Amino acid sequence: MTEITKPNETSMRLQRTYDAPAEDVFDAWTNPEVLRRWWKANPAWITPVAEVDLRVGGRYRISMEDPESGKKFTAGGEYSEVSRPTRLVYSWQWEQEDGELGHSSTVAVDFRGEGEQTTVVLEHTGLESLESRDSHGHGWEGVLEAFQTHLSERAAQTS
Amino acid sequence: MANNALLDRAFVACSHPIRRGILERLAGGEMTVGEATGDFGVSKPAISKHLKLLEEAGAITRVIDGRTHRLQLREQPLDEAYAWMTNQRELWERKLDTVDQYLREQKERQQPQQGPPQQQNNPAKESK
Repeated sequence: MTEITKPNETSMRLQRTYDAPAEDVFDAWTNPEVLRRWWKANPAWITPVAEVDLRVGGRYRISMEDPESGKKFTAGGEYSEVSRPTRLVYSWQWEQEDGELGHSSTVAVDFRGEGEQTTVVLEHTGLESLESRDSHGHGWEGVLEAFQTHLSERAAQTS
Repeated sequence: MANNALLDRAFVACSHPIRRGILERLAGGEMTVGEATGDFGVSKPAISKHLKLLEEAGAITRVIDGRTHRLQLREQPLDEAYAWMTNQRELWERKLDTVDQYLREQKERQQPQQGPPQQQNNPAKESK
């Protein structure tokens, strides 16, 4: 099972335990074949590209095209920590339609091996630079959720 | 895909407790500037700065009615920020699934079936 927690307002954290040693999970995580499969969300999608240069300073890039809409979904980034089989840190950027890279966020993946089991803890800290230091109380996601509720209530009123 | 610069501004809009407070109040409906920004315990210039950021993000619009300034919430930019977060989370869920499936396949390949599958009625066994 996957556990999802929200440690703060601009990051997401996911966790899952696999029945495999840490080395195998680490290798699967960075395997281009796995990346291509992951990215091919729809069987009709074409041009699976997955390039991985697994070393500090090396880059990865995954791309897929929806032939129907002609839309490309490309993400990439740079590895800043490669510690097989315990930890992997890389930047995450969506490529925009003009080929420019969008806002850079950070993905940190911890592989906690215990014998034949490994727990993967993924933390995507997307918008750290935007986070206010004096921020207390509920996160912005809470606001957005409240806002969604407001929208659906309003929709219910008008219907 | 959403315009990233706009999306960034939507996140900026939501990244301060006072701005979130203003958005929450406006979620209930249109308000005057005074109603939407009162009681936060900060200076007027600070409030102006927060309102400016919210306006730049397109999260609110200001309707000037004589001397009264009214604020309205605009759903679209925040909607996109919410959708972005949800999509990104789903994307990671799918990666965790893909890794799981791949590892299972690897395991099966490493542990080839021990002999042919056992039949319910094994004639060789029965003839003994």
